[in-house]
Amino acid sequence: MELQNFENNLIKMTKPEVSQLKHQDMLEAAIVKARARSAVSWWWLCIPMYLIAALCMKTFFMPGTTLISNMAELTNKESYSSILLFLFLPIVLMIISAITIRNAYTTSGKAKNVALLQKVWLNVIILIISIIIIIIYSL
Amino acid sequence: MTEAELLNRIKNDPNEFAELFKSYYKPIFGYIFRRTGKFDDSADIAADTFLNALEHINSFSYKGISIKVWLYRIATNELYRYFKQKKRRNRLIERIDFENRAMFNNYLYDDKIELEKELQHHDRFITVLGALKTLPIKYMEVISLRYFEGKDNKEIAQILNMNEGTLKSLLSRGLEKLRKKCNQI
Repeated sequence: MELQNFENNLIKMTKPEVSQLKHQDMLEAAIVKARARSAVSWWWLCIPMYLIAALCMKTFFMPGTTLISNMAELTNKESYSSILLFLFLPIVLMIISAITIRNAYTTSGKAKNVALLQKVWLNVIILIISIIIIIIYSL
Repeated sequence: MTEAELLNRIKNDPNEFAELFKSYYKPIFGYIFRRTGKFDDSADIAADTFLNALEHINSFSYKGISIKVWLYRIATNELYRYFKQKKRRNRLIERIDFENRAMFNNYLYDDKIELEKELQHHDRFITVLGALKTLPIKYMEVISLRYFEGKDNKEIAQILNMNEGTLKSLLSRGLEKLRKKCNQI
């Protein structure tokens, strides 16, 4: 009986109600905008992958050549294109990837979060490949 | 527009999520506020809830639960983490980019004043919430959904993903514990 009364009191008890929230509209816009979307797609990744694959194939099928010598050869033949392909493009990809990772981190906010890694793994791969290309090009 | 139509539109264009936000932000915020009794934490948990929902909306499919129940489930999980950690959260609201941060903070402050004033009008609720917070989270969840939110057993069972038998037993044990706590106060 006592429990029944207590339950009735809980049901009848007045509770705080949320009538209006001024911050709602701004938060809505910010959350929709903050959705971390990768700016780098597989298509972007194809460009450095193609370059690396082409140079690796040449190194493999042409005896006496190395990856570095093949890159140096291409640089001598096509100096402007090589700057674009081996320096400018990797730097742009690195910047895009870094911004995407930062945005993803900002919204998830937990460095050890597995979901964060799942979201940015492609960007991490692009960052690593871009760094490798720049290092090889600089040698 | 039905929930299924809205869901399809969101899956095609994430900007349509705004519709869902408009419909459910206030009730979800209210639920979180009635669980925590703290405005700042509620605003942060509510933001986390909707960001989480937006990120996982593509994997949501109708398996007998509505979007509303799904949002309550996400909010309940966020609240579970909040009560479990018992420390200040890494606040999403402070990290997120707003077009006008100062204006947002002003709005947030106004809402805080308004809701804290509103809370003060419900002395009995404050006492019960204080006692409820001393109970284990499993009792806190069922009691707040049943008596603060007025949900029926079927809906609570869906939100907490448990069968109704377990829910009834949790409710009855929780209610008894809460009554004893309230009598002590």
